[in-house]
Amino acid sequence: LKHIKINVVLKIIKHYQEEGQGSEVVQGVLLGLVVDDRLEITNCFPFPQHTEDDADFDEVQYQMEMMRSLRHVNIDHLHVGWYQSTYYGSFVSRALLDSQFSYQHAIEESVVLIYDPIKTAQGSLSLKAYRLTPKLMEICKEKDFTPEGLKKASIGFENMFEEVPIVIKNSHLISVLMWELEDKSTAADKHELLNLSSSNHLEKSLQLLMDRVDDLNQEIVKYNTYSRNLSKQQQQKHQYIQRRQQENAQRQSRGEPPLPEEDITKLFKPPQAPPRMDSLLIAGQINNYCQNVKEFTSQNLGKLFMAEALQGHN
Amino acid sequence: MSRFFATGSDSESEESLSFEEAPPKASGGNFKQSLLLSDDEEDTKRVVRSAKDKRFEELTNLIKTIRNAMKIRDMAKCLEEFEQLCRAFLKSKNIVDKEGVPSFYIRLLADLEDYLNQLWEDKEGKKKMNKNNAKALSTLRQKIRKYNRDFEAEITSYKENPQESADEEEEKEEDDSEGSSSESERDDEDGVSAKSFLKKKPEGVSEASKFLKSAKESGDESSSSDDDDDGEGWGEDTEESGSESSGDEEGKSKSLATVFLKKTAGPDRPSIKKSEKKKKIQKVRLEEEQLEGEGEEGDGPWEKVKGGVPLLKEKPKMFAKGTEINTAVVVKKLNEILQARGKKGTDRAAQIDLLHALAAISNENNLGQGILVKIKFNIIASLYDYNPNLAAFMKPDMWKKCLDCIDELLDILFENNNIFIGENIAEDSENLAVSEQQPFRVRGCILTLAERMDEEFTKIMQNTDPHSQEYVDNLKDEGRVCGIIDRLLSYMENKGSTEEICRVYLRRIMHTYYKFDYKAHRRSLGLQGETKSEQDQEESEGEDSAVIMDRLCKFIYAKDRTDRIRTCAILCHIYHHALHSRWYQARDLMLMSHLQDNIQHADPPVQILYNRTMVQLGICAFRQGMIKDAHNALLDIQSSGRAKELLGQGLLMRNMQERNAEQEKIEKRRQVPFHMHINLELLECVYLVSAMLLEIPYMAAHEFDARRRMISKQFHHQLRVGERQPLLGPPESMREHVVAASKAMKMGDWRTCHSFIINEKMNSKVWDLFPETQRVREMLVRKIQEESLRTYLFTYSSVYDSISMQTLSEMFELEIPTVHSIISKMIINEELMASLDQPTQTVVMHRTEPTSLQNMALQLAEKLGSLVENNERIFDLKQGVYGGYFNRDQKGGYQQKQSYQRDQKGSYQQKQGGYQRGGYRNQNQGGY
Repeated sequence: LKHIKINVVLKIIKHYQEEGQGSEVVQGVLLGLVVDDRLEITNCFPFPQHTEDDADFDEVQYQMEMMRSLRHVNIDHLHVGWYQSTYYGSFVSRALLDSQFSYQHAIEESVVLIYDPIKTAQGSLSLKAYRLTPKLMEICKEKDFTPEGLKKASIGFENMFEEVPIVIKNSHLISVLMWELEDKSTAADKHELLNLSSSNHLEKSLQLLMDRVDDLNQEIVKYNTYSRNLSKQQQQKHQYIQRRQQENAQRQSRGEPPLPEEDITKLFKPPQAPPRMDSLLIAGQINNYCQNVKEFTSQNLGKLFMAEALQGHN
Repeated sequence: MSRFFATGSDSESEESLSFEEAPPKASGGNFKQSLLLSDDEEDTKRVVRSAKDKRFEELTNLIKTIRNAMKIRDMAKCLEEFEQLCRAFLKSKNIVDKEGVPSFYIRLLADLEDYLNQLWEDKEGKKKMNKNNAKALSTLRQKIRKYNRDFEAEITSYKENPQESADEEEEKEEDDSEGSSSESERDDEDGVSAKSFLKKKPEGVSEASKFLKSAKESGDESSSSDDDDDGEGWGEDTEESGSESSGDEEGKSKSLATVFLKKTAGPDRPSIKKSEKKKKIQKVRLEEEQLEGEGEEGDGPWEKVKGGVPLLKEKPKMFAKGTEINTAVVVKKLNEILQARGKKGTDRAAQIDLLHALAAISNENNLGQGILVKIKFNIIASLYDYNPNLAAFMKPDMWKKCLDCIDELLDILFENNNIFIGENIAEDSENLAVSEQQPFRVRGCILTLAERMDEEFTKIMQNTDPHSQEYVDNLKDEGRVCGIIDRLLSYMENKGSTEEICRVYLRRIMHTYYKFDYKAHRRSLGLQGETKSEQDQEESEGEDSAVIMDRLCKFIYAKDRTDRIRTCAILCHIYHHALHSRWYQARDLMLMSHLQDNIQHADPPVQILYNRTMVQLGICAFRQGMIKDAHNALLDIQSSGRAKELLGQGLLMRNMQERNAEQEKIEKRRQVPFHMHINLELLECVYLVSAMLLEIPYMAAHEFDARRRMISKQFHHQLRVGERQPLLGPPESMREHVVAASKAMKMGDWRTCHSFIINEKMNSKVWDLFPETQRVREMLVRKIQEESLRTYLFTYSSVYDSISMQTLSEMFELEIPTVHSIISKMIINEELMASLDQPTQTVVMHRTEPTSLQNMALQLAEKLGSLVENNERIFDLKQGVYGGYFNRDQKGGYQQKQSYQRDQKGSYQQKQGGYQRGGYRNQNQGGY
């Protein structure tokens, strides 16, 4: 469970508005503290946008600097994770996995907060917190991405990440202010939530989905050739052993000493298995897209029915 | 002329007389001549004397050694010396020719012969001789016999009058002891010869001046014959022979005059002088090495004199023999000159001069056309040889000379019907002498020379900067080259074998095929408009190049046996057809020839020709509005991006690893001269525009088709380049214009497209290069309208429920029937889901095309299908390896999946039917 202070949310949104655009991604550091069994995120600061010309920019240095400064003004300065924006829900990637792993490895309670600006723009704030599952952590620790390793860990795309429920909290003063403001404000004229046009969003999602499917396809082909090679080699190995056995039998019958046992693995080097992590990630991403699309379509269907009803009513 | 003979007489007084005579005769060159003559008194005497003395000294020295050898009966030495003597004599031949054979030489010959005969008779003595000597004796005897035959007359005269010689011999002994210092003395003794030699020099000059003065001089012939009679006293010969010679002389000088009148007067005189100078220079050179060459070179210019004087001297006695010797001598000389060919250190320019001189001599002596033709052949050959390597090209003056020579040669050949020339005539079966019944037979191939000339021309064009005035000047020679080929052609048609005719035809074709026949073009256009008289006039101006091409090519198709000539002829024929917009003939010929299948086995020049032809064919198709054919024809050349190289119009810059200097040279030699180039920008523009007309509607029709293929990669590349531009200004280059037009067309905006394709810039860059500019432009506009209409319908049909054809026809400024036909075609081809409503003249859309989202979903489904398929394969493998790994349930579920997939596929195979809903729902069910 997680509690997030509203100012963190606002900061993240602001960060995106200011620096992110289109498919660009913004990232930042979350600060907070662990209370009982829940993590409270009380502050955050953005990573500065990288530019090509200052390559020697030291990020770690910057973070330390930042945290020190924050401590000086008496703000929680414990590093509890990081946040990232996303574009149509595409965030499941190798980079995310790696950095989240390193966070979680260093600071056990770290989370990654994913902010979807597009959905937010449509009227519903989309903020999700994820953690790597312990299983995945183990695998990552061992760096064993072979098919066997993954199979042994019985890990699939659905149990790579676990979502952590979040609660956004305001301070009481802010709540009071909000109440007051709500009374004063006239009826909101925002209708993003009710926007009926869906094809654009869906098309984008589909396009991304298709790209991922293509990727997955490639991965599969790769794996396919691998397994074919493997089986071919198995056969060869098998034949070789048989031949050797026959020869030995003959030799035995002739009273000669059997041929020395050779290291078969040396003769037949097993082909390099393609790392399966990528396909897992892609699958996870596809799953994510599907969830997104599903969510979106179900909402839209509701809206459409509503609109129809309204039309009938009028 | 008169002075010549006057001076020819031996007395000093007569010489002075000749001086008196000179002024009234040669009024123009008078002063100069007298100057020259006065110079001669001292100067030339000295120079010539030294030359003569040197020779004679050499001879006397040799003779001395021979005599010594004779005394000690050393035959081997004798033979050796005699051979040297012969050589030395040959070397000093020009002097001898002027002087007459020196008497001491004759004396030696006579004595030697006698001596040898004596020895021969003396059997005992012979037995005593050692083997070497005996052998030498027999060879020497044979040699001298043979050799003396040439000097028969002199020897007999000497034998008749041995007294004098005996005297001389005594003196000779003295001379020998004194060495060469007693030259003048001996000159006096030699009397006739020496003095006549001295006088010959001025005569040479006068002769030269005679060349210049030409006709006037020849008019003086009568007086010259008189002088002849005067001068006849100087020889020991009788009067009748003198008159005989004078008669002969007259005819000869006439012919000489005419020849020189014609052409050679200019170039010949300098050449004489040059070679004179050369002679002096060469004397300084290493004697041993130069012995032969010097002799040759020295001989050339002096030969003229030999033609004049020795003839005079010899004719009296053996007229018939003399002429015969002359033909033979000239041939011999020719061979001598030719032997130097290709040797190191041979001065090629001098060789050419020599050959020219030789030609002049043979002309002078009326040796007949046979020999002249032979010499001409050799002149041309040595002109070609002038450049040491294949890559270098001829210098302009050489080139001009070469053209002149070939022209002259053809003149001769045309004038004389009885000359047979051919490569296969053996050297010894040649017949060069003049005779009534037998035609001349000369070895040599005029065709090869002409072909070589053509190649040289190409080489010159290749090596000239195409943007210089020089190029234009050079190009003017093309007319001459063509003229020569034409003449050769008419000559060959009468005389040549079929193969030769084929070859010469091909040359003609090669000079015709790439030229646009404006005359015929105008004529074909002007049939309606122009006035009758103009037409008649035009029609009388020779036949169309098309007719010529047709005739020549058909002959080659029928008669040619080498594949290459036929291939070239076909390609040229196609090219010519294509150039003149006879698309169907060109295409049929191309298809019938089956060249497309086996052209890759041809040699590079033919391949280049093939490429040129294909390109021309494509451009022709474009002009005719056959966009697809145009695109197909140009695709191969354009897609490689090496059009320049493939057409032989320039080398691509490449790193040196791929091509070393040698290859580069070879490739350079293959280049097509600039005036035959096909405009590459035109080519690319034609290609891009036809690609645009094909690709844009296709793209619009298959916007969502995952498997659509590009028609033209190059076009797409250009589009991408256009898209990548950060800032889009108004188009500048031809490509930018096409890209901009494509963009407009994509929107169905034909007007903008039109304005991009056809405007001032594009006109000047491309369209004005076509012969029928206006027609092509009209065709293009029409095509743009039609294709824009198609694109528009593809792109925006989903927006319309129905659209009236009236509107469409107004939008695209096409007539309603055209619109109707286009739409009908689209409907029939199932490109457009619509129907025509006849009464209201509207197109009713069926709205069966999926929306973009649906399309996307379809694509996704397809991709998923392949994904599943791939997955299956993995499972298959797994099952193979770990059999029974999966339990039944899993298998069942898996099969279900398969069936689902089949369903899915079925659903979008029936696209046209009521797919959409059902299919979609199916999918949904499957998906969730």
